[in-house]
Amino acid sequence: MSPSTEKPGTENNVKIAVRGLKKTFGSNEVLKGIDIDIAEGEVVCVIGPSGSGKSTFLRCLNKLEDITDGSVTVNGFDLTDPKVDLNAVRQNIGMVFQHFNLFPHMSVIENIMLAPVELKKKDKAGAREQAMELLRRVGLAEKADARPASLSGGQKQRVAIARALAMNPGIMLFDEATSALDPEMVGEVLQVIRDLAAEGMTMVVVTHEMGFAREVADRVIFMDGGVICEQGVPEAIFGNPQQPRLQDFLAKVL
Amino acid sequence: MRRRRGGIFAALAAFFTVAAMLLGIGGASALSAPAAPQAGAQSAGVQGADVKGKTFAIATDTTFAPFEFRDGSGNLVGIDMDLLHAIADEEGFTVDIKSLGFDAALQALQSNQVAGVIAGMSITDERKKIFDFSDPYFDSGVQMAVAKNNQDIKSYADLKGKTVTAKRGSEGESFAKSIAGQYGFTVKALADSATMYDDVKAGNSVAVFDDYPVLAYGVSQNNGLKIVTDKEQGSSYGFAVNKGQNQDLLAAFNDGLATLKANGEYQKILDKYLAKSEVQEQGGFFELLKNSWPALMKGLWLTMVATVLSLAIALVLGILFGFFKVSENIVLRGIATTYVSIFRGTPLLVQAFFFYFGLPQMTGQPLDVLTAGVITLSLNAGAYMTEIVRGGIQSVDPGQLEASRSLGLSYVTSMRRVVVPQAIKIMTPSFINQFIITLKDTSLLAVIGFAELTYQGQQIYASNFRTGETLLIVAALYFIVITILTQVSNALDRKFNK
Repeated sequence: MSPSTEKPGTENNVKIAVRGLKKTFGSNEVLKGIDIDIAEGEVVCVIGPSGSGKSTFLRCLNKLEDITDGSVTVNGFDLTDPKVDLNAVRQNIGMVFQHFNLFPHMSVIENIMLAPVELKKKDKAGAREQAMELLRRVGLAEKADARPASLSGGQKQRVAIARALAMNPGIMLFDEATSALDPEMVGEVLQVIRDLAAEGMTMVVVTHEMGFAREVADRVIFMDGGVICEQGVPEAIFGNPQQPRLQDFLAKVL
Repeated sequence: MRRRRGGIFAALAAFFTVAAMLLGIGGASALSAPAAPQAGAQSAGVQGADVKGKTFAIATDTTFAPFEFRDGSGNLVGIDMDLLHAIADEEGFTVDIKSLGFDAALQALQSNQVAGVIAGMSITDERKKIFDFSDPYFDSGVQMAVAKNNQDIKSYADLKGKTVTAKRGSEGESFAKSIAGQYGFTVKALADSATMYDDVKAGNSVAVFDDYPVLAYGVSQNNGLKIVTDKEQGSSYGFAVNKGQNQDLLAAFNDGLATLKANGEYQKILDKYLAKSEVQEQGGFFELLKNSWPALMKGLWLTMVATVLSLAIALVLGILFGFFKVSENIVLRGIATTYVSIFRGTPLLVQAFFFYFGLPQMTGQPLDVLTAGVITLSLNAGAYMTEIVRGGIQSVDPGQLEASRSLGLSYVTSMRRVVVPQAIKIMTPSFINQFIITLKDTSLLAVIGFAELTYQGQQIYASNFRTGETLLIVAALYFIVITILTQVSNALDRKFNK
């Protein structure tokens, strides 16, 4: 586990800075003003009831969602600044989706090699070598030439993580990465995320796995109704929740 | 006598043709000197000598059997043609025939694009004001015919309470109507001779009133009818030149006609098309197939050319506007939506008329029939292709684009590597479907005179009256070609989109 940061967001090396973030879909305001700093190497778990805005918040961090108001700064680049090269910023942010979103028309290794080759970070041989290394890391080296359709859910998600790591990002975003998995496969995926946390990767993890959040997170954020309702170290959030809404939520899920 | 076509249409057709000829598109070098107006050169008695060795451009109709029509191998034949060629041989000049359609032929003459018109044209007082006519070379008139096996109808008196048919706007129709009250029958107007004869054979009408030569030619071709009345005196046909012009040509025509009448050649030509031949029975089905084969293959070739060209252009349009439609740019989306709305929201037939007749009139830039046809079909199919492309792209899980963008790949790269390959797989069956639809839609271009397969079929049964068999052959050709192409497309689909 990475060293705990007692006063999050006040470190010098802030990787992600969010200020007054608002997001509306039509007339529906999903995010009503989020302020947070996430430090290098910090593992932040985001919990909360469905519809609370967790996923939308996460998707604003690499601007998969347009930002209605406020700012998101990643590695010093303000994503709301039209002059910022979003593609370059995104190369440093890996994202893992609930439904894996593997490319079905490519083999497992081609999925992983796509970005490094297209973005000319590596030649084909180099990219293949690195992809094999990543597959070994997630325990799927033997599946390199398989099609995604032939993999189990847990295997697909491990490939997706390997793909997200292919550009050597400094930040990883996980959007309910285990929610679509059969229970017996959750463990293998969480183990990969746990390993990444141990290596000091900066991570924002939207999850329903409370046990995992408690174990891995440096900081837990509880979102409800489009705002950060309560945040703190796992012991505080799970051991001594302050807000009635958080108490309600934990009573239901634990 | 001569049928009249719809005013606007005829005008458009005429306009187009004349404009095409002005720009030299209509038919290459053919516009051999429509002899400049020769003021004062109208001295009577100008004889063949003045026309010897000259070539005259002569306009005629497209299909008006038995005066002019295309035989099985696509050559223009008929009484007018044989007569004109015989006279030209006799008088030592040559002719360059322009098959333009009746109204367009008159327009071309008036604008001096051709020297004369021979098109089964009645000599009327109205026309005499603007044209000079030759001596009449044919006396027409209306006759009544019934089905060959009909023993009951022998005269107008037997028509009481029955329905007869006649060609809309023809002299046959006005004559039938003029006696309908007297004899107590009803007149049903139909558009063309072949349809009328089929109507009588099918028993929907008991008799048909039609121009004597047309009827006689049909009977000579064993169209299943027999003529039961004498000819009602009608108008006479003449060869026409512009008033006061080409008088030497007119004189040569009259001179040649007189010679042919005197030496019996004239009667031979008439008999060739009008006499009921004793021995000549219609050949069997396979003979019909053999005779019509060259023309049908020519038509099938043009069908394929129009289909392939149109689809290639439609594919480009479909991809372009399909991407516009899924674009985030509201202007591009608007352009694509407008395009699709217009071409899906109007009938293909109207589009074909517009591009062939309407647009040239508005711009003054004539289009040949293949160009107009291909423009019509590509824009029409392109609209459907646009929707296929849009549907294909949108049916790819949005998570695919998100995953690709989250890796730092640009929109274009993501589309190219991730979305489009999956969309193509989804779109392929729809593309094959559109291919088949477009191939069949080429048949609609027959109405603007594009000589594709259906048009060739129409031309064939317009002259041999074997409507059913000819259409069966045409349909079978479409069916075979479409079946083969569908199988090939599906095989390719399976191979590349496993």
